Amino acid sequence: MRKYLLLNKAVLVVLLAALTVFVFDSGAIATADTGPMEQLRKSVDEILQILQSEELKKPGKKEVRKQRILDTVTGMFDFREMARSSLGQSWNTLTKEEQEKFVNLFTNLVEQRYIGKIDSYNNQKVVYKKELVKGDKAMIYTDIVDKDLEIPIVYRLQENGGKWLIYDLKIENVSLIVNYRRDFDSIIRKEQFAGLVEKITKQLEKGETSN
Amino acid sequence: MMISANSHLKKGYVLQAGVISLFLLFITAHAWAGADSQPENGSQTGPVTVEIDAGVPNAEDAVWEEEWEAPKAIADPLEPLNRLFFHFNDKLYYWVLKPVARVYSGFFPEDMQIVVRNFFDNLRTPARAVNSLLQGNLQDSSEEVARFALNSTVGILGFGDFARDVLGLRSSYEDLGQTLARYGAGGGFYINWPFLGPSNFRDSLGMLGDSYLHPIIFLDADWGVIIGAWTFEKVNYTALTLGDYELFTETALDPYAAVKDAYQQYRNGLIENQ
Repeated sequence: MRKYLLLNKAVLVVLLAALTVFVFDSGAIATADTGPMEQLRKSVDEILQILQSEELKKPGKKEVRKQRILDTVTGMFDFREMARSSLGQSWNTLTKEEQEKFVNLFTNLVEQRYIGKIDSYNNQKVVYKKELVKGDKAMIYTDIVDKDLEIPIVYRLQENGGKWLIYDLKIENVSLIVNYRRDFDSIIRKEQFAGLVEKITKQLEKGETSN
Repeated sequence: MMISANSHLKKGYVLQAGVISLFLLFITAHAWAGADSQPENGSQTGPVTVEIDAGVPNAEDAVWEEEWEAPKAIADPLEPLNRLFFHFNDKLYYWVLKPVARVYSGFFPEDMQIVVRNFFDNLRTPARAVNSLLQGNLQDSSEEVARFALNSTVGILGFGDFARDVLGLRSSYEDLGQTLARYGAGGGFYINWPFLGPSNFRDSLGMLGDSYLHPIIFLDADWGVIIGAWTFEKVNYTALTLGDYELFTETALDPYAAVKDAYQQYRNGLIENQ
């Protein structure tokens, strides 16, 4: 049953690191100010500030709060790369317009997952364990401590013009992108790409009404 | 009396069935390995070694070598039946487990729920110790023994995780499914059990085998006690994770496929990380 947790916990990490203690493992590779781990931490801090802001908690500010969180989340991920690899082989069979359309749908789908997690922030602690950097790729190892359990989360990032962007993450060994690929694949095989687009659109509408 | 004798008889049958199936599994393990998700030498899945002290260049290179690729799809010949049971478990969650867990949360605050979870988790330690041993890992095995001894006594019946919090002894979470994998058994086909959820052929046998090292079975408790304990653990778990199942399944397009894949990736990770 623990696996149901997995992807959701990943989502937590970005939203939740707020009141967290950042414990750097003594063995961790020394990080420059602009290193990937530092950048991830900054973005997470930013989200936490929004979450904790008393001003933004006022009822009339709900939409502003949501939008500001979304803006920050959007700046952390390489959605185009994620969308591409979540489709696997099918990506290459699409026209330019279809690809653009899919990137938009995919972005909204991931954002929906994050937004759904906002209210469950409950002082979870994030431990940044280590970062590995090789050329323009990086991996960041973290643990999120939730209800006295340590859940390992590993991020994969790619540098793009000095900015490190997340393109996949693994929670307890489950890769978000691989999981999306399987999910999408199961739809594409039966209903082709058009069916997938329709399903995602419907999913997003459902999320709109429930939020 | 009658009921008790009857339940002993049933347990005997279950044990026999388990042993016979295990035997069959070993015979057919290699046949299955082909039609299965098991990465042959980890060539399909990225070996994400979450070792903090992986300072050796080679180990680091191994981590980098591959992107996280999807393992070969797991065979699912029982898909229609599996989907039916998935649907059943889904309804069970929304109609029974979730409402019960909500009420339960009203009586048992979160701290208590963690204590209950630790208690049940501690009961699985003997099986973990045996499996670490079967996998040839003497150190992990002795650590599990130490965990069980300490947490059952100083940790008061396993209510607290004394061994982890004070001595830094962490469980390695080994089970029979992983032991079988270690000896070359493939996962076999996917099974979504009613009540128990996602599994595969190998891990189902593993679950059965491990259950005989669970104190509650080992001490030959009545079926009523076994089912009661299982239900309690399940409700407690649900209370601790309310909202997780919903978000995962509601943001997936085909929740069945998403859960199936998550199970496969999760198990492969456990098997590789030994």
